[in-house]
Amino acid sequence: MALSTSDLKKLSWQLRADLLDMVYQNDGHLGGPLSSLDILNTIYFSDIFKFSKKSPKPTDDNFILSAGHLATALYVVLAHKLYFDKKKLATFSHFKSILEGHVSTTVPGVSYSSGSLGQGLSFAAGLALGNLLDKKNKFTLCLTSDGEHQEGQTWEAAMFASKYKLKNLINIVDHNKYQIDGSLEDIMPLDDLAQKYISFGWTVKEVDGHDYKKLLKIFQISKLSNYPTCIIAHTTFAKGVSFAHFDYKYHDLKNLDPTLYQLAKNEISKHLN
Amino acid sequence: MKSVNTSIRQSFGATLFKLAKTNKNIYVVDADLKSSLYLSEFAKVFPKRFIEVGVAENNAASVAAGLAKTGKTVFLTSFSCFSPAINWAVIRQSICYNNSNVKIIGSHSGLMSGSLGATHQMLEDIALMQVLPNMEVFSPADAIETAKIVSAVSRSPKPSYIRLVRPDTPAFFPPKLSFTIGKSQILTKGNITLLFHGPIGHLAFNLSNTKENSLEIINCSSIKPLDSKTILKSIKKTGKLIVLEDHQKIGGLGQAVSSLLLENKLAPRFIHLAVDNQFGRSSKDYSKLYDHYGIGIKALKLAVKKLN
Repeated sequence: MALSTSDLKKLSWQLRADLLDMVYQNDGHLGGPLSSLDILNTIYFSDIFKFSKKSPKPTDDNFILSAGHLATALYVVLAHKLYFDKKKLATFSHFKSILEGHVSTTVPGVSYSSGSLGQGLSFAAGLALGNLLDKKNKFTLCLTSDGEHQEGQTWEAAMFASKYKLKNLINIVDHNKYQIDGSLEDIMPLDDLAQKYISFGWTVKEVDGHDYKKLLKIFQISKLSNYPTCIIAHTTFAKGVSFAHFDYKYHDLKNLDPTLYQLAKNEISKHLN
Repeated sequence: MKSVNTSIRQSFGATLFKLAKTNKNIYVVDADLKSSLYLSEFAKVFPKRFIEVGVAENNAASVAAGLAKTGKTVFLTSFSCFSPAINWAVIRQSICYNNSNVKIIGSHSGLMSGSLGATHQMLEDIALMQVLPNMEVFSPADAIETAKIVSAVSRSPKPSYIRLVRPDTPAFFPPKLSFTIGKSQILTKGNITLLFHGPIGHLAFNLSNTKENSLEIINCSSIKPLDSKTILKSIKKTGKLIVLEDHQKIGGLGQAVSSLLLENKLAPRFIHLAVDNQFGRSSKDYSKLYDHYGIGIKALKLAVKKLN
């Protein structure tokens, strides 16, 4: 059974609560994972794409997390998918835990290990091409960060996907406008990202990355494209934890002040009841 | 001894084409060097299995890894000064860390690239590749061994790097000898152990095996995994060692062997003939470069004399 928009919304706050706990206990990335969470939730818990319950199957659609530091968000989603015991979230980045600090195939449901930015879209394109050549009716979804579009390889991949008409490839950009050392505007602006993808021959859609109704619709439409699709999801950095919104210092956490943790927890908890 | 010159690159292209006829899982991801790697026929006959990425080696490496994920054996083809030189970090993550079934083919390695000059005389490829976990590294001696190595890696699911060269080179690998991953072959028996990889080995092979030039020539085409058993056994016997390679001294076969020797408490008299911390330069005739950089026939003869 696919989750309704309101169910997805409700689940998203549980995911945020779990993510916050995991990152508070163990340190790790926060801003990007929170901004991308609604996108991941839609991919895995709506019935638009095929991601089997309890354990991944070879016939499932492919998901590639290019921005490996968003691992915390993906791990929480996969735990709720029951791919592994939710209790393991507490072991994030511990010695011998399956949950590596950056996304890793040691985790059931993860098909690409990443951490170095800019490579995932190319990997996803290769995967999509393989499926297309094998006439497999599968989609390859790739989640990229906006910051990693500063890597030249992303644009090599954009050219490639267009040449090989990878209509089964969907790149979702978590456009939260912040990166580790500041805003994209200050570090290296992307200017008109949509126009860039359009000029590379992609179908481009822009969406509010926290609006489930719109996300569902955009994902449905993107399955019908004859070209690779780029969904630019405009998101709020650290969505759900107001004091961290638009503050790049929360790219990753180290020793978060317990009072701030409580503040964040209270804010998220309000949505849980 | 006079031998016929044959093309390592042509052997690669022809072998892969032949293998691809029966192994439908073989794919090529090429970075705009199809004709140079003799893959035009492959591209013509198997257009769907020939993926042209253009001059974009980073993308090529990740695309190859993604394609391999769908159950294919992917040959990633370029010159070694571009792949693995430009895309090393991509190979590290997309291919090695993800343990992808990708075979990296790097042509135009070593000073043998001659007239093309320093940018194209890749002397650091072995260093870059052997340091990576999961990666296997091979350097065929000639066209015959190239065919054997390409066949062998096509049957292995592991990532690997195969080092090729530009010019036609002497065929000296005994055709009846087989190639096994992780094994080296003793080509001649003698009083001085000589280890080499790649076509430069013909210099040693062509030295007449006399009382003065008594060489135990061992072909170390399987650089990683290295056949430490055969190598150590020979050095224990001879107590004298020459390593000859068309590569930087740092990070090449010689250094790999050196640490092997120390770990096994061996201290033979040792001369390492390799390019010593320098870039190459142009020359139509690569043997002039070999002499200039101290890895040619003169240097080899002198090394043998010193150890006698």
